[in-house]
Amino acid sequence: MSTKRNPVDPVTVEIVGNLMLSIAEETCLSIIKSAYSTNIKERRDVSAAVVGPEGDLVAQADYLPIHLNAFLTFIPYIYQHFDRAKIRPGDMFIGNDPYHGGGNHLPDIVVAMPVFGDGAIIGWVVNMAHHSDIGGMVPGSTSSYADSIFQEGIRIPVIRICNEGKLNEDVFQLLLGNTRVREEREGDLTAQISSNRVGARRMEEAFAKYGDRLTACMEELQNYSERRLRAAIASVADGVYSYTDYLDDGGDNSPDPQTISVDIRISGDSIVFDFSKTCKQLKAPLNISYNTLLASCFYSLKALFGADIPATSGIFRVFEVVAPKGSLVNPIDPAPLGLTINAAQRLPDVIFGALAEVASERVLAGCNSTCQTTVFTREDPRHPGNTLICHEAIAGGSGASRHADGLSAVQVHMTNTSNMPIEAMETEFPILMIKKYSLRTDSGGAGEFRGGLGIDREFEMLLDGIQCKATGDRQKFAPYGLEGGRDGATGAFFREMDGARTRLPGKSTGNRMEKGEILVALTPGSGGYGDPLRRPPEKVLDDVADGYVSVEAARDQYKVAVNRDSDGICTLDVEATRALRAAVR
Amino acid sequence: MSYMIGVDVGGTFTDLSVFNTQTEQIFNYKLSSTPQDPSQAIVTGIETLLGLLGMQAEQISYLAHGTTVATNALIEKKGARIGIITTEGLKDLMEIGWQKRPNLYDLLRPKAQSIVPAGLKCEVPERILCDGSVKTPLDERAAIRVIRYLKKQKVQAIAVCTLFSYLNPVHENRLKELIREHFPEAYVSVSHELVHEFREYSRMSTTALNAYLGPVMKEYVRHFEESVKKVGVKVSPYVTQSNGSIISISETIDCPIKTAVSGPSAGVIGAAYLGGLCGLPNIITFDMGGTSIDVSLIEDGKPQLSNERLVEGYPARIPMIDIITLGAGGGSIARIDEGGALKVGPQSAGATPGPACYMRGGVNPCVTDANILLGKLNQKKILGGRMEVDLELAKQAIQTCICDRSSLSLPEAAAGIISVVNSNMMRAIRIVSVERGYDARDFALMAFGGAGPLHACEVAEELGIRKVLIPPNPGTLCSLGLLMADTRFDLSRSRIMLAQPENIPAINTVLQEMIEEGSDLLDREKIPAAQRSFSASVDARYERQNYEINIPLREPAVTEEILGEAIQQFHAAHEKNFGYSNEAFHVQLVNFRLSAVGEVEKPALVCKPLEPDAALPAPQEIRQVLFVGEKDYISTPVYHRDGFVPGLQAEGPMIIEQMDCTTVIPPHWSIFTDGYLNLHVNYKGGEEQ
Repeated sequence: MSTKRNPVDPVTVEIVGNLMLSIAEETCLSIIKSAYSTNIKERRDVSAAVVGPEGDLVAQADYLPIHLNAFLTFIPYIYQHFDRAKIRPGDMFIGNDPYHGGGNHLPDIVVAMPVFGDGAIIGWVVNMAHHSDIGGMVPGSTSSYADSIFQEGIRIPVIRICNEGKLNEDVFQLLLGNTRVREEREGDLTAQISSNRVGARRMEEAFAKYGDRLTACMEELQNYSERRLRAAIASVADGVYSYTDYLDDGGDNSPDPQTISVDIRISGDSIVFDFSKTCKQLKAPLNISYNTLLASCFYSLKALFGADIPATSGIFRVFEVVAPKGSLVNPIDPAPLGLTINAAQRLPDVIFGALAEVASERVLAGCNSTCQTTVFTREDPRHPGNTLICHEAIAGGSGASRHADGLSAVQVHMTNTSNMPIEAMETEFPILMIKKYSLRTDSGGAGEFRGGLGIDREFEMLLDGIQCKATGDRQKFAPYGLEGGRDGATGAFFREMDGARTRLPGKSTGNRMEKGEILVALTPGSGGYGDPLRRPPEKVLDDVADGYVSVEAARDQYKVAVNRDSDGICTLDVEATRALRAAVR
Repeated sequence: MSYMIGVDVGGTFTDLSVFNTQTEQIFNYKLSSTPQDPSQAIVTGIETLLGLLGMQAEQISYLAHGTTVATNALIEKKGARIGIITTEGLKDLMEIGWQKRPNLYDLLRPKAQSIVPAGLKCEVPERILCDGSVKTPLDERAAIRVIRYLKKQKVQAIAVCTLFSYLNPVHENRLKELIREHFPEAYVSVSHELVHEFREYSRMSTTALNAYLGPVMKEYVRHFEESVKKVGVKVSPYVTQSNGSIISISETIDCPIKTAVSGPSAGVIGAAYLGGLCGLPNIITFDMGGTSIDVSLIEDGKPQLSNERLVEGYPARIPMIDIITLGAGGGSIARIDEGGALKVGPQSAGATPGPACYMRGGVNPCVTDANILLGKLNQKKILGGRMEVDLELAKQAIQTCICDRSSLSLPEAAAGIISVVNSNMMRAIRIVSVERGYDARDFALMAFGGAGPLHACEVAEELGIRKVLIPPNPGTLCSLGLLMADTRFDLSRSRIMLAQPENIPAINTVLQEMIEEGSDLLDREKIPAAQRSFSASVDARYERQNYEINIPLREPAVTEEILGEAIQQFHAAHEKNFGYSNEAFHVQLVNFRLSAVGEVEKPALVCKPLEPDAALPAPQEIRQVLFVGEKDYISTPVYHRDGFVPGLQAEGPMIIEQMDCTTVIPPHWSIFTDGYLNLHVNYKGGEEQ
């Protein structure tokens, strides 16, 4: 047997890996438990990580893919701008500026704490939370009208928030003075600070137990991610793979379709994502920060090549990103970033599209890839003077694969937040009634494997004078099908009065709606996979019986004849189906 | 003289525990399960016991049975053909769910397989608003059309769930009447009868699951009832619920979903009971078997309950013991992955082919193989000598699959497998403790199941837990727990209102309504008045929050004083759970809860006097054992547990074997046997008992 040994063995790496992850998870949970705001507690818009002594990401707990890699640049930024020798135990750093070491957009505030062992930094505990308001031009800080990051809230360069365990009151008060909900910010920031102490204590315990092996394991954990990812990429044929898709528009300032394009170059076990052909940065908060770009690429790699590959700095030895300065995916300060999710959702779609041939085992056809949102506001009829704000993100279809139909009515890619139950929503917002919340017939692209369906959601106004904002994308450019599968349906917004429907633009605000009027939100479906003629007629029959596919679409697209009798019972017309299918072959 | 019997039916074995009320002795018996008809093994077991103990069937005064029939029907998708009737516009709610995909990164992970066949999700025009008022009356003609359609479609069961029925059930009630009238043979499950709470998806899903299980469960329990009657058993048997209590056959037929995750709950009840006897009210249970481990937390003698859990991918909003299950057991498979890390589970070799050492053709190394190689398990025969094992096959599997693909030696690989599976199990313990705001070190670990006592001490040591308790028969704690259960109904009502004195009449109306319902249910279970108790609580939150904390109410009838106390308790609980409270915020009451408990007669276990000169029996053998954290194999005595008498104290290391279980006592741990023959295992001379 070989006597040559790694500095750390596979067992220790697995156990320390579990431990590092559990420290990150405990830090995260501690924030969720003690934070004030719904956004952190309910939507879990929060992450935490353990970072090695040199600033390398070692383990991360996350609930939303857009947070992947939110911590990559923060500690290296500290080392560049602060004297390492003067960083003391109990210090903590804070920052939120994506152009200077921070996360996805300004509401994501990062807090980092160094951990010491034997007098030296043995690592960092870092966490990030999405704050519901940090100033800016509108409540909630992110406005779709922002054309500069300065309109999106306070910018916090990386600075100390604690000195040797003591809170820097001056800085803290400055931050609290820049939010509309002071008490909530105070609670959330306090939660972030105290949770880091929980994580740091656990790191110290780990160091006491494992000593120098701990840092060796941190290195090995990165090597592990790197090996996993390299092994996966090596299995893909070398070559250049490209795909281009379009955003419907870039907001009011750039109403034309906007190109999102990628060239992926695979050579051996490395991969380059080149976004040179992607559109220029926009005068709308749809720009994608460099961290978000990295998160989107890594998300796609995980989804395509190994869902359980841990998020560590090791993966960045494997892939490289080319993003010209001044483009949508690497904007120049002070381009606005507030609603970055709406554009970032499309990055995995183009990456999947490019790799469809070579990663055919795991790739999905085009997804709904937007974050279709409705916001209704009105004075609370029960408490005059109070404003009700009902915010709802509506899911859509997820693309079909070569193995299965796409999932219907799900959030895809960079987000995965849940809906609010109708009974909870109507109780809290008795100005609205949900008339319909169903899957959208024929919205899934036809295919051997059908695309997932979008949603048909109808809000009836119960009172006059309700302001409605409706924003979405993929209302002009359909989610693509693969291998002969058809495209999914595009989305749309309508307002309906007395049965007459008027189409609204894809991104509209300030629609005043009256009692009895209905806002109809149709979300995009997703692409199908494979030739629809290969779909077994029995499955088409089931889809018709469930109302997922219409009798007409069954006949026209699948060449399957379904009869519905007077009782509503659907049956397959085997002879007619055979004839229909024979005619096209 | 009479006998009380608890029967726990598992996938592999059916366990029976019998208590003789006169001699106060407990007798345990184990036989192979009969999955085709589980009641067959029960009847055989009872008949065998009648012979063995020389008892008469009519002397059986109590028979409780934990069943996996509902669980299996769900796993194997063998429930009834069901249809759903709901509010117009909502037919796809079961498919939409929470709008979330099942896994963030594994995009091929499917949503749960539908339990409603195509075309059987139906809508009827009707609408009730959030204040309970009727906006659109039920369209009865449309309803009848739908019912006839489902009848023509040959469904066996119908789930009815309409919006806001928890506030105003008028439409659901009418739909039920119409079904009775036009389709009387259908099993009907109505949402407000099952879940009186808001959040329509969870309520609909629970109702659909219940309908799906109804016909299957009805057939099974009727058959079971007849079978035991035929043997001459006079009492009517009970069935365990997921909340750890027992209910009658008829209640089981109405609410089969309540039994769906009852499997491991009886063990938790048994653990709480034994913990009470030993003065250990705070316990983490560690129930490890062949494929999985179940972990739960008991505080002050009370198992923690949760109100919702996913059952085969669908939410079931039914009060149940909060048990975390993880794929880590004796059959969990170890491998070196593509990145070179040693992984264990969640894949399991099951019983066939099983671990490599079982000689049934398994080639993958399992946790059991590692335990055999390390000397922790008997290297020739396990399960009390009933099953032969082959050490060489275990070695071969570990060599081929682990050593040849890494730098690990054979002992390092085997010890590594144990360390990794232990670290996985620690995650389950962290979920029930740290993540719920408890410090695991304040708890004792109670280990049971076939493999729990094998791993418990080493896991405890890693977590800083200093006390491990091993019951006398770790393999049959579930059937023992069945003798310790009470009848209990956990009722609830969603009524969203501010916690203000003017709402006291409304609060008391809700509580009174539930007391009446609870009394009716206890009447049906024939529980005498003296053995009844009611306890009320309320889920409260600050206004506009979307998560609640459960606060007990001192009395199930509220006065201004009691409400004031509850509000103060809420602020304190919020502070404890979430780190802050604010008395200026309005407190909102959301769900009212009432537990109606009927105390059932339980065995009184006898505490034997400690023997002052208790000594270890002679060891069966001296085996070389490699413990976690030790560099080399240590010569370790192996004892048979039968020779352990009350008062026995000794130092580890040692291995203790008994019929269905092996206990590992590592170095630095000591043992003490108490008067109930529980084994108290203490870290490094922890405090004396």
